[in-house]
Amino acid sequence: MKALKISGICLLFGLMILVTSCGDDEDFSIENPTSYIFERNGQSTVSFSGQTTRILMSTELIDLMKDKNASAETMLAMYRNEGPNGEDVSPFMDQDLNNETKSIKSKVAASRDFFSSNTAVGSQIKNHFENWISAQHDEVFPAWEQLAQPGVAGQIADGSSTRYVDARGLEFNQLVNKGLIGALMLDQMLNNYLGGAVLDEGNNREDNDAAIPAEGKNYTTMEHKWDEAYGYLFGTSSDPADPLKTLGEDAFLSKYLARVEDDSDFTGIARTVFDAFKLGRAAIVAGDYDTRDVQAEIIREKMSEVIGVRAVYYLVNGANALPASGSDFGAAFHDLSEAYGFVYSLQFTRKPNSNAPYFTKSEVDSFIGRMLGDGPNGLWNAEAQTLIDIADEIAGRFDFTVNEAAQ
Amino acid sequence: MYRYLLIITMFLLASCSTEQEGSSTETKKDNFDRSVMLQDWADGIIIPGYEVYLEKLDALRQSFETFSDNRNTETLRHLRTAWESAYIQWQHVAMFEIGKAEEIQLRGYTNTYPCNVAELLESIQANVNLELPSTRDAQGFPALDYLINGLAVSDELIMAEMHANPVYIEHMGRLISRLQSLASLVYDDWTDSYRDIFVENVASSATGSVDKLVNDYVYYYEKHLRAGKIGIPAGVFSGTPEEQTVEAIYSNKLSKTLAIEALSAFQNFFNGKPVSDGYEGVSLAAYLDYLNTIKTGADLSALINAQFDNARNALHELNDNFVEQIETDNIEMLEAYDQLQLNVVLLKVDMMQALNVRVDYVDADGD
Repeated sequence: MKALKISGICLLFGLMILVTSCGDDEDFSIENPTSYIFERNGQSTVSFSGQTTRILMSTELIDLMKDKNASAETMLAMYRNEGPNGEDVSPFMDQDLNNETKSIKSKVAASRDFFSSNTAVGSQIKNHFENWISAQHDEVFPAWEQLAQPGVAGQIADGSSTRYVDARGLEFNQLVNKGLIGALMLDQMLNNYLGGAVLDEGNNREDNDAAIPAEGKNYTTMEHKWDEAYGYLFGTSSDPADPLKTLGEDAFLSKYLARVEDDSDFTGIARTVFDAFKLGRAAIVAGDYDTRDVQAEIIREKMSEVIGVRAVYYLVNGANALPASGSDFGAAFHDLSEAYGFVYSLQFTRKPNSNAPYFTKSEVDSFIGRMLGDGPNGLWNAEAQTLIDIADEIAGRFDFTVNEAAQ
Repeated sequence: MYRYLLIITMFLLASCSTEQEGSSTETKKDNFDRSVMLQDWADGIIIPGYEVYLEKLDALRQSFETFSDNRNTETLRHLRTAWESAYIQWQHVAMFEIGKAEEIQLRGYTNTYPCNVAELLESIQANVNLELPSTRDAQGFPALDYLINGLAVSDELIMAEMHANPVYIEHMGRLISRLQSLASLVYDDWTDSYRDIFVENVASSATGSVDKLVNDYVYYYEKHLRAGKIGIPAGVFSGTPEEQTVEAIYSNKLSKTLAIEALSAFQNFFNGKPVSDGYEGVSLAAYLDYLNTIKTGADLSALINAQFDNARNALHELNDNFVEQIETDNIEMLEAYDQLQLNVVLLKVDMMQALNVRVDYVDADGD
């Protein structure tokens, strides 16, 4: 009886070790703060200004794409932060952005895990954005004051809003906005900064173990890489240490994490992601890399889910908005343009504990081909069943149903 | 004969299935004759409502022609009176955004306010195509409001502006023609074919006429009457008053009249009161009475009517000009809003549940 009791305690103890350290022999004591505040020598070690900068640049770009008088040069200069011949440019309203040498384009489809040896595809993706920006200028702006029709670019009513679409019914500003969520923010977060290749590069582990800061900085390189992932989600928050209260302050990942959080089937997801970021960062400070990596996988799963949910949401809503009569295409086109961007972003998701996205580029290309392929005029000919089928296939690979995502 | 049998069978089936998923308070079988109610709506309220509206627009056209031929302050005042009269009658049909009105977005092209004055002035010079959705905030009654009332502070100065810019007068003619052609499209569709389609669609499902119109009706109350006329200018949604969004802002005296008129028209529809006095039609109130839906000891139709009266009394307390009201005492404006809001719950939750009508609209995504 006594022996049984002792072995029971041993078993319990063993389980606790397994749970807390996932089988690691070492004993770490992780100091997990209540908000995302980390300090060394009384100074903050958290920094992600480069991510905030790129979110702000992206914000100015998508705003300018709605100004019919904008030049293609200015919009492309915002995307590249340089001129056609590599010269310095100042396209932004915000002077601080003009002083930056960073650019949106350099980080589009540029993650270590997915694109470092896949630069040909990376370059195609970078160019997609340039093509959408140019087409906004060349095809949609000249048609600004005419009514859109099948095969003809122009404006179309969506409730009390007015949308501006190309001949196929696509809003290029939506493609760029929702496309950047995947190609820039998500790809950098999940497939660059949260990956072992970047976090553990060079002497990062040794330096982090010894708390040797990066040159001229207060943070170790590994700490900083983790924070850069954090910055693509929370970089414009008015309270970046405690960002959940005001989630959704930019039109990119933050906004759509907030949207998914607002769907009662997913309530709690924002807290889960934030907690994983916080615990992972605390684990880095404690040198507990297994715990760090478990948190990275949680973030990969949940943030990929955000993209999947929104892709399904807009596909189903777009399908439901397809009109019986000819007047309501605007609502459907707007939803489906957003769907296009989120479907496009699926190729930058990351299946946890793997080196693969939930959907490959060729699967994504095929989805988009089908969305636009029901007739000669793209979305004007889209059939609800086609869109619902794609939504089914997307949801089928995630841990949610179409109904949960679409409500 | 067989067709009728089929319709009756469908009706029974439909009411059976609603019976099963209906709320527990609803014990009675719903054998209410929806088709008579739909007829009374169409023939007693909606079609006559558009008829009168078209007459008012004709009168507006006449006054405009007179003004255009004799451009002085007196003809301007007549024109203004005709504009007011048409704007008031508009409040009686604004809630029926169904059928052709929905298809052509009658409400959006007729009464999107505030008017975007910069765009209006640009579109006058460019003689822009008024069928473009982006021009909705630069046409209709609010654009006419600016031209008739807002060009200057006195009628003499307005006439001076008109004389200096005869293109303003030409454009008023275009705006009035646009209002007429939109209203005619809707009226003609009702009288040509839509009336029968509407009345025969008695199904109690999302596509049935009752379900659709009740949704449009309550949506109008929530978004256009409660929010548009009172809530948005009072700053309910933004936190700070936005008096620049008051309806008929340049007239200085019409905003309260329009709000009260809209509320009365809305309540009359609820009670089946036709445009001309006399026969009272089968109505939502009658339907609720039939269902004998009881809420906190009184019947729902009486509760809703009492709340309409409360809201109207609160509106009567306000300054004729809502801009002045907001600037001097916005609390009173907010109190009127609260009275209107109380009926949102009764209409959208209690009434729609009792009628077994599902709400088919949600707040827009916002992006």
